[in-house]
Amino acid sequence: MPTEINKSLIGKEYPPYAVTVERGKIKEFARALGDANPLHVDDRVGAASEWGDVIAPPTFAITFRDETADSAAFLRELGTDISRLLHGEQEFEIFRPLQPGQTYLCRAKIVDIYEKTGRSGPMAFVVRETTIADRSNEIVATMRGVTVVRL
Amino acid sequence: MKYAKVYFDDVNVGDELPPLVKGPIQQIQLTRYAGASGDFNPIHQDEEFARAAGMGGVFAHGMLSMGFVGQAVSDWSGAGTVRKLGVRFAALVRLKDVVTCRGRVVGKSSKDDVNLVDLEVWAENQRGEKVVTGRATVALPSR
Repeated sequence: MPTEINKSLIGKEYPPYAVTVERGKIKEFARALGDANPLHVDDRVGAASEWGDVIAPPTFAITFRDETADSAAFLRELGTDISRLLHGEQEFEIFRPLQPGQTYLCRAKIVDIYEKTGRSGPMAFVVRETTIADRSNEIVATMRGVTVVRL
Repeated sequence: MKYAKVYFDDVNVGDELPPLVKGPIQQIQLTRYAGASGDFNPIHQDEEFARAAGMGGVFAHGMLSMGFVGQAVSDWSGAGTVRKLGVRFAALVRLKDVVTCRGRVVGKSSKDDVNLVDLEVWAENQRGEKVVTGRATVALPSR
């Protein structure tokens, strides 16, 4: 029996959550990609740069996605489980690079859920947008992800 | 030279980024990326789980390939210059695959002292199949 996706989640806004970026986490992320750019991994190079410290690679904000630690609850609410998920699309807009020691406030919203039948059968597409603001409530980055649920 | 500074004035539509070759993808890299990103979906770690899920075995996080593409762009344009990066995950990356990231300049614009360069970006596997396709925008200094 095909899974029913809970479309009533469209428009749902999640409670804002704060993330403080740890220095080691930026380096760990860059190294996991094999990106040895000194602006990501070398504190001295970062300190001497226009940024005054190391900066995160462009896709680092994805680490904020599951920071709320209730992604299992989200999947239950959606009516699926982790084995059915694929990543369909991802976008980042970065106004200022993310940096260590900074605390960011993330606001996530489900902007759309739609169904389509592809080569491998029926699928649901869940579109989630997240804005990332700094302490002065200025938006420094946004991300938009499309999760594909194999129904 | 890697990490050379690129100036807006010197960039032309049609210019190609130096290809960035990653892999062959090994399980340890997927495990490392899981830890670094917080995405512990067992479908990227556990062969039995991935087969039971109907995926025919473990495959890489899409975000790993997107991270490679981000690096290909910033290796060329400089860390901190990426303003936009958007991709579609077109095909799965499997263990032992070699992922080559590429890009090409498709547009230039200047407004309010900000110089933007638009790029078409993609990553392909060792068979030349596109696994990631997308667009990027970088802000570059002028001379």
